[in-house]
Amino acid sequence: MNDGALQGQYFDGVHPIGAQATLLLGGSEAVLIGAQFTQRYVRARLRVSPAIGSADRFVALPDGGQFQCLDNPALDTLPQEARSEGMVAWLEQRTAVAVLAIVLVAGAALGGYFYGLPAAAQRVAEAMPIETEQALGEKALSWLDQAEWFGPSQIMPESLDHIRRGFEQLHEGLPMAAHYRLEFRAAPKIGPNAFALPGGTIVITDQMIQLAATADEVLAVLAHELGHVERRHAMRLILQDSAVAVAAGAITADAASLSVAVAGLPTLLAQAKYSRTFESEADEFAFGLLRRKGISPDAFADIMERLAAGQGNREAALSFVSSHPVTQERVQRARAASRE
Amino acid sequence: MPTDLTLRGELADTSIPAIDTPAELALRFNGTASEYFRIWAVNLCLTLLTFGVFSAWAKVRKKRYFYSHTTLDSTPFQYLAQPLPILKGRLVAVVLFAAWYVGSHFFTTLIPYLLALGAVIAPWMVVRSAAFNARYSAYRNMTFRFDSRYWDAAKAVYGWQGIVVGVLIAGFIFQKNNTGAATFMPIVFVIGMVALVLGTSFAWWIRRLKSYLVSRSSFGGKAGEFAATGGQFFKIYFMGGLIMTLAGIIGGGLGGALTIAMKPGLSQMALLLIPIYAGYVFAYGFVQANTGNLVWNSISLGPLRFKSTLKGSELAMLYLTNALAILGSLGLLIPWAVIRTLRYRAEHMQVFNDGGLHAFRGQDQTAVQAAGAEVGEFFDLDVSL
Repeated sequence: MNDGALQGQYFDGVHPIGAQATLLLGGSEAVLIGAQFTQRYVRARLRVSPAIGSADRFVALPDGGQFQCLDNPALDTLPQEARSEGMVAWLEQRTAVAVLAIVLVAGAALGGYFYGLPAAAQRVAEAMPIETEQALGEKALSWLDQAEWFGPSQIMPESLDHIRRGFEQLHEGLPMAAHYRLEFRAAPKIGPNAFALPGGTIVITDQMIQLAATADEVLAVLAHELGHVERRHAMRLILQDSAVAVAAGAITADAASLSVAVAGLPTLLAQAKYSRTFESEADEFAFGLLRRKGISPDAFADIMERLAAGQGNREAALSFVSSHPVTQERVQRARAASRE
Repeated sequence: MPTDLTLRGELADTSIPAIDTPAELALRFNGTASEYFRIWAVNLCLTLLTFGVFSAWAKVRKKRYFYSHTTLDSTPFQYLAQPLPILKGRLVAVVLFAAWYVGSHFFTTLIPYLLALGAVIAPWMVVRSAAFNARYSAYRNMTFRFDSRYWDAAKAVYGWQGIVVGVLIAGFIFQKNNTGAATFMPIVFVIGMVALVLGTSFAWWIRRLKSYLVSRSSFGGKAGEFAATGGQFFKIYFMGGLIMTLAGIIGGGLGGALTIAMKPGLSQMALLLIPIYAGYVFAYGFVQANTGNLVWNSISLGPLRFKSTLKGSELAMLYLTNALAILGSLGLLIPWAVIRTLRYRAEHMQVFNDGGLHAFRGQDQTAVQAAGAEVGEFFDLDVSL
């Protein structure tokens, strides 16, 4: 019963030139036989490289030599160089395992994307004080100011004071109340828009104020931005977007070096969905806040409709609307909220 | 005509010496997509389920697959690295990345210091990853080596360009601290000068890096030699830039004509990106193929010479079809794309043995078993990504 007579090649480790050899495996001994040599080894002192695909395997010999041969079940009975890899190799040889692995990956990716990641990001964001975001918000504002997207507001100071007082009443009693700061800017290039910067600074453009027919409409827009801050959307978006980028990078790690286009687009689409979710969340927050302060969510619907209509300034309106959920839906939800 | 015949006979005798045509050593890649699919799927799954910890094992398995299924003169290459040093390297990389991420987002004043720290670490990373890769790559029971000190790497990575850029930045900071404003050296000037220096000398910088990496690598006591010039690299990058510019002009011209003719919407305008993107992919393939050819054809390792015959258009098509297949299959064809790319590369590489493999002689340090002995060392870590 010769369970191990392996045909292969011997390399001495000094010359890159092989010699035909046979490795005979006995109970406690191994014998290497070549044309010009015969060598005995203690079987327990051999080390076999892990199986991989259909490749040859290497047997390290105690004297520094190496025997190389086709994969053979007899090799698995010898001492292994890396035991942990042996188990992985066993899994890799089975198609059913590969199919199961793909199902698990898809399940983990979808579950993580829709439930796990948003929930985890929310917890982490709540544990981090909002002060950690402030430097980021200040940097963003100074960058926008320097890049000349923003100029000083051209609206009469009395009107601004009026809006500011309304804003203070609006956020009175909210958990983040101490961190709010309202900034007015003229932004002819950006058009009607409002931003919640990380850390609690809210910027509203002159164009947005001019677009509003009533003070309540301005407050409705500001209530939406307050929702972003109260719900910590800036931090959550940073966390979720970076986690998506890391996961996408891990999954496409092999392909990234092949094609630049592969990882980028799906990541962007996945991230865009998160920001749409946050917009809806901020809307819901705004409707609740407005009603509590005695303002009808209709004001929000009105200004959204006017924004979408574009007032002849199509591209400017697009910038506010595009990253947001479909306007019609938002308007309908606002109207529904005002009837409640 | 007898005279002619004798002349011909003489020529044949004298001017055609018996050239020993170098023997070709066959280079083959015999990995298959179905085999690699199973390896990829199992390792990806385990990596996700362990929140990335398994990625070190996954890297070893994949590299082992690629090495073991690449044969030169019917002997496969051998990948020897163990997962733990790779895991250690990845932890270091994660810490560095997190420091950069947190620093650049929340402590913006720290950015210059972080950048300076990165500049100091970079040559060390180059040395460590090259040494790691060489030491754990083996052929016929002999490992490769990479011998370099930090300072050599710093010279290769930064060179005179580093000094020029350093002086420009130091001058800018100096004047800002002393006069409080950017007066005699405005920021636009500094950025412009840096871009000019790096842009024009890029080809020579790449040549220096490649030459450094090749000449410090060795196998069996023979170090690599590198004969390419910066001018050869420059020609390739210049042509690549030309292809992209041309595609830009065509795309822009079409766009202009279309805008005047039919006032298209935003989505139609997006279609114009196609010629520009195609130009980009083609230029990328062109540069990849030609620099790859130039590098390999300029390397000699003892008696070995290389001939790489990649084609830019073929490589571009390969990348493009890979991208489409991967997107269309939601990623399931990634292993297939990897395998066919490796096969294409192996099919376009020839190795010639001009002399004999006897020229290579292993030492104690290059013995495969010596590689494992250094695992306990702290700095035996893999920092390449």
